[in-house]
Amino acid sequence: MNRNSRYAANYLFTAVVWSAVIICCALLCFLLSTIIWNGVYALSFKFLLSPASGFGANGGIIYQITGSILLIAVTAIISLPIALGVAIYKSEFLKSCRLQRLSNLLIYGLNGVPSVIFGIFGLIFFVNLLGAGISWFAGAIILAIMILPTIVLSTYQAINSIPTIYRESAQALGLDTWQIITRVLLPQGLDGAITGLLIGLARAIGETAPIMFVATAFSGVDIPDSLNGPITTLPTHILALAKQATDAQALQNAWGAGLVLLCLVMLLGFAALMGRIRLKTRWQ
Amino acid sequence: MKGKKLSVIPVMSAWSNRIGRAYILISTLISAIIILLIALVLFIYSWEAISQQRADLFTSIWNPAAGQFGILAMLYGSLMVTVIALAIAIPLGLATALFTSEMLGVRYRFHVKFLLELLAGIPSVLYGLIGVAFFSVWLGDLFDLQSGRTILTAGILLAIMVLPTIITLGDDALHNVPRQYREAAQGLGLYPHEVIIHIVLPLAKTDIAGAVLLALGRALGETMAVMLVIGGIDKIPPSLVNIMVPGQTITSKLGREIEETAFASMHFSALIFMGLALLVMVLALTAIAQHYFRPGLRLYE
Repeated sequence: MNRNSRYAANYLFTAVVWSAVIICCALLCFLLSTIIWNGVYALSFKFLLSPASGFGANGGIIYQITGSILLIAVTAIISLPIALGVAIYKSEFLKSCRLQRLSNLLIYGLNGVPSVIFGIFGLIFFVNLLGAGISWFAGAIILAIMILPTIVLSTYQAINSIPTIYRESAQALGLDTWQIITRVLLPQGLDGAITGLLIGLARAIGETAPIMFVATAFSGVDIPDSLNGPITTLPTHILALAKQATDAQALQNAWGAGLVLLCLVMLLGFAALMGRIRLKTRWQ
Repeated sequence: MKGKKLSVIPVMSAWSNRIGRAYILISTLISAIIILLIALVLFIYSWEAISQQRADLFTSIWNPAAGQFGILAMLYGSLMVTVIALAIAIPLGLATALFTSEMLGVRYRFHVKFLLELLAGIPSVLYGLIGVAFFSVWLGDLFDLQSGRTILTAGILLAIMVLPTIITLGDDALHNVPRQYREAAQGLGLYPHEVIIHIVLPLAKTDIAGAVLLALGRALGETMAVMLVIGGIDKIPPSLVNIMVPGQTITSKLGREIEETAFASMHFSALIFMGLALLVMVLALTAIAQHYFRPGLRLYE
């Protein structure tokens, strides 16, 4: 009897686990197929290459695509140098254990800040305090702050995993600290930085909340000609269209923009994955 | 090192060393200051509400026209949505993590992780779009509601969004349990489910708790998806457990209202106070997860 009940319990347990797995797989299939299926209907060369009109319900998304790409390109340019500096400091200069923990707390803390908080911070600090108004450059700075922890940790791991013997050999050759950093550590750590950057950008390109108060306007925006001024991006465009969910044409355009956005995210994510595979096999 | 040549430029070196150090120090200072700056800015701009409204902030009526700024309805919404999300996502996620870590071969681990990352990478506004176009319609039809945009809809959507986080961190937690424990338990004649329930899960408890805390923080801070499907009514339902009614979370309130509010007014200040409350909650969760559990360096794994 006892043996039978244990057998039954095992059977039940397996059934529960399997049903959870099936639900999760069904969800995954549903999510991806919904986005792809609905998106493909909306896609055409005309949709991709023409500007939006009629509050997004008509026309295409060319300026949303260029806007999103411009925004994350500038985000990358701002965040990468700062992240490199922090990662080098954390790996090479920060010896005290207590300070290491403090820096971890700050980095993980920054990573945990909800994206809408970045949005209201940007609204207060850039738009009002600094008087920049709606400025896409401020949006890029906000996104750069948001993805900083991801890049720092990825770079830190890459630099930190370089065997000490490389540093010692470089020192024995008479290189000073800065030379060791630029000629030994950075060339090796750059892969980690790029990987982290790509992961961060994959997140940044899909974010709406941090930039919707700071950098974007919904209609009548094309490619900005100065650092100031609004930009229009794919996620904020989708948000605006999703709000008019009763309008079938607007919803269809939202799906189209959604599929393009997903493709961009996947592209960045896939590139990051390649980088990570390379990193993993480096010191083995 | 791919046999790269090292060239030494003695004259430049002292200067470049100094500039390099300055650059590293400055960038570190910038990044350390940012989070403090964010907290400080939010605190300064919510001071008006804190000093003048005081305890009135913690009432349940939000009516800016009458000068009433009670945030309890939003707090309730945030908490309720998060509780629903975790109540769905934790059992589902952990069971799936058990599968990927204990039943699925190690060969497939890489693929599973890749799929999960794919799911986690879907931008939240797309979840919102799916919620608006499908879930809210389905729920509205299923329960015959006036509007399918309810607290429950937001909770379900959020559950789907945090699921990949729970699965992947849960899988890591279970994977960290050494093989010997399982083998010893199997050797004693335990059934697979007994090995998992009595041996593996207790050992992985701390890491799983850390994973749950991270998911909790993420759920609390999620904006776009929730904002699109929650309905946007600032009321606590008469019956606290009635989740089939429209509600409001802190994040959805901020997302909807802050742009239409005059800068530095009392209304603005009260909204910023909500943001500050959210930030404090999430940072506390992060600090607890950092201190008591060890999430390790899993930020991008």
